[in-house]
Amino acid sequence: MTAALHLLRRLGFYLLAAWASVTLAFVVPRLMPGDPAQAVFARLRGRLKPEAVEALRAALGFTDASAGRQYLRYLGHLARGDLGVSISHYPASVASVIAGALAWTLLLVGMAVLLSFTLGSLLGLLAAWRRGRWLDATLPPLLTFAGALPYFWVAMLALFTGGFTLGWFPVRHAYDESLTPSFSFAFVASVVRHAVLPAATVIVATVGGWMLSMRNTALRTLSEDYVLLARAKGLSPARIMFAYAGRNALLPNLTGFGMELGFVLSGSLLTEIVFSYPGQGYLLLRAVQSLDYPLIQGLFLTITLAVLGANWLVDLATVWLDPRTRT
Amino acid sequence: MSSSWPLRLVLLGALAASCASHRPPPEPGVLAVAEEQSASFTRNFNPLLYSGDVRWPARHAMYEPLFIYNPLTGAYVPWLAEAYAWSEDRLLLRLRIRQGVRWSDGAPFTARDVAFTFRLLSRHPALDVQALWQHLADVRAPDDATFEISMKRPHVPLLEAIAQQPIVPEHVWSGVADPMAFANEHPIATGPFTEVTSFKNQVYEVARNPYYWQPGVPAVRALRFRAHPSNEQMLLALLGNELDWACEFIPAVERIWQRPDPHHHHWFPLLDSTIFLYPNTARKPLDDARVRKALSLAIDRALLVKVAVHGYSRPADGTGLSDAHARYRDGAAAAEGDWVGHDPARAARLLDEAGFPLHGGRRALALTIQVPAGYSDWVAAAQIISRDLRRVGVEAAVRTSDFSAWFDRLGRGDYTLALGWSELSASPYGFYRALMSRKTVQPLGETAPENWPRFGLAAADELLDALDATSNPEEERRLVVGLERLFAKHAPAIPLYPAPSWGQFNDTRFTGFPDAAHPYAPLSSSLEPQTLLVLTRIAPR
Repeated sequence: MTAALHLLRRLGFYLLAAWASVTLAFVVPRLMPGDPAQAVFARLRGRLKPEAVEALRAALGFTDASAGRQYLRYLGHLARGDLGVSISHYPASVASVIAGALAWTLLLVGMAVLLSFTLGSLLGLLAAWRRGRWLDATLPPLLTFAGALPYFWVAMLALFTGGFTLGWFPVRHAYDESLTPSFSFAFVASVVRHAVLPAATVIVATVGGWMLSMRNTALRTLSEDYVLLARAKGLSPARIMFAYAGRNALLPNLTGFGMELGFVLSGSLLTEIVFSYPGQGYLLLRAVQSLDYPLIQGLFLTITLAVLGANWLVDLATVWLDPRTRT
Repeated sequence: MSSSWPLRLVLLGALAASCASHRPPPEPGVLAVAEEQSASFTRNFNPLLYSGDVRWPARHAMYEPLFIYNPLTGAYVPWLAEAYAWSEDRLLLRLRIRQGVRWSDGAPFTARDVAFTFRLLSRHPALDVQALWQHLADVRAPDDATFEISMKRPHVPLLEAIAQQPIVPEHVWSGVADPMAFANEHPIATGPFTEVTSFKNQVYEVARNPYYWQPGVPAVRALRFRAHPSNEQMLLALLGNELDWACEFIPAVERIWQRPDPHHHHWFPLLDSTIFLYPNTARKPLDDARVRKALSLAIDRALLVKVAVHGYSRPADGTGLSDAHARYRDGAAAAEGDWVGHDPARAARLLDEAGFPLHGGRRALALTIQVPAGYSDWVAAAQIISRDLRRVGVEAAVRTSDFSAWFDRLGRGDYTLALGWSELSASPYGFYRALMSRKTVQPLGETAPENWPRFGLAAADELLDALDATSNPEEERRLVVGLERLFAKHAPAIPLYPAPSWGQFNDTRFTGFPDAAHPYAPLSSSLEPQTLLVLTRIAPR
């Protein structure tokens, strides 16, 4: 009962947050100097005569309607699921542009974040369990060091050595250009092979953080009385480590993971640029550069929904992991 | 779980990956061309949609114009039209349309397709990016081989836009309800490459036109395009011999690109527009030509070109013209513009004269130089300028801002000094019009799409009006030289250097690319429609 009420209250909060971010997505791009038609004109550098700018503005759907009117129409279109037409990818619709990138971002960054979190948490727990031993002494400083290196540099290094010099992995794209997307073994294998380098760089850059925070919370949990009791009862070490210490130590990390998972959809800009991966981050960069209001709004919307959705999942997981929220 | 398992995982992954090689040999006869930087492609081959996200082949290889202007020879190369003639009053342009050309579906191409294309632009002003219908009164095709254009008033420089308008087939496009929103996924065109044989979000291929009108052409079987979102990726593809033709800026090109492989070639002719330091002449103190000339004289252009442009260019001359207009350049006019030399002492004298004497090593002049962030060559140039100006006692701080913010300031006149490109078209008409015509001057605060210095001269407008009404080459050159003299005299803007047009090719598998020894066309793969000159010439080895 109380758990249901707790979840309901969270849901209300999410609705409010969704409205706020949808509104921000409308306001923020319009605060940038210039307008999209001007951006098109600048991009074409003289191939567009000044006299044609007005006609272009009209064709792209620019009106002199008041901001309030535009905002109401925007909300109306949004409610109907109509995200409009992208300007930088004109005449493709925002929905189709995002659809082309969403799956790849989810796949690459989603998997990388999930792997990094799982790996980091496991290593952290292990390090705490065997405190002061070899693993605990070497890995945290090493991984923190790796995480502190500029990501762009790490990715370029991986691309140049693993992809270009040694030729172990493809240097670009999400799958081999001779294949057509399907669920065949060859295609899936190609996707995996193309994802190894970019995913590995994301993991190298982030796993240290997860490990360190898991290790620190696990150390605290391991000194709790109930762990001592579990040992006294003669439970197996694995059970104590995972079901007693691990489960409780995971809670604070889980909140961070929810946030991280939500931001997956904003893409990993640098990963996508370095490895030519067709994802959302590059799309967002391009949209901002060309003042593509509809695409910026559409991307913000997917990111918002992802953050809120991920947090909702974390709420559910917390209810499941932490009995206190259920009482 | 042993502590060395991550190492094992890495080794295992590397092993699995090395089982298959990722560099399959390129297919014979398939030319790999660099597209505009992008992470993924949308399928759009609409040649009329300049403002949209349109794939490279649409205007570079599929749809053809009536004539192709060749900036290296100054000639209009006959393409879908064979000849043109102006009437005596320059109000009628008559073109003879080539016979025997067929669309890629086999249908014959006639003057009616040409008339249809021009009428389409008049019905959809957003597609008329050259603003043709500001000047055209009517178009007609009296027979299959003749196309006529009536002008509202004489405007001969419009020839370039008319000549290079891509022509679309009436029998396909007459059924298109909204040509703005038309993605044209299955193009029917007259060009050398028309058949889209595969299209995926990161790679696509276009094969040759079975009905191409030039006999035995093209010798290349197909064009292939891969998505490269960054310069680094483009460079890797070039160095890995995965790209045959590109237009990349490469620093230290001799060492990085040319020397490692005898098949690697580059050619950077100065055919792009001149890069300027724009002064805002609508505001004091830059309304004074002496101040503008003094700033110009303070700049060490030789050093600027060496540092900011890696020595790929040369200092601009007193006419401001780039090499795309080399045959218009008049030696006497260039000599009159002696304020583009490097002479700090004369700069100081001019500033003293203009009422800005030195006080404790500084002058009462506070300027800023606006540059778009990320344009590293321009930022470097601005820093050199700032340093040179400080040497004559003028403080000019470099301010970088986001591209759209920079462009917005330039347009509204909210700057004192700013780096920027200049207008580039077949003749210097548009270049000088955008620098000196009163018709292009906007009041401060209103967005000016051209003439960012906001400088206007009645004498310039007289010459420009005369250019509107002449198609005689000698007369045209005489008038342009008049404009050069006005530019050299008034210094409406400060030219820095003509920008190179980047181009490189790999002749391992294909031959016939233009270069300094064979300058039949520009090499850059981004110049439309000039790429057609190259695509119809290159052949597999």
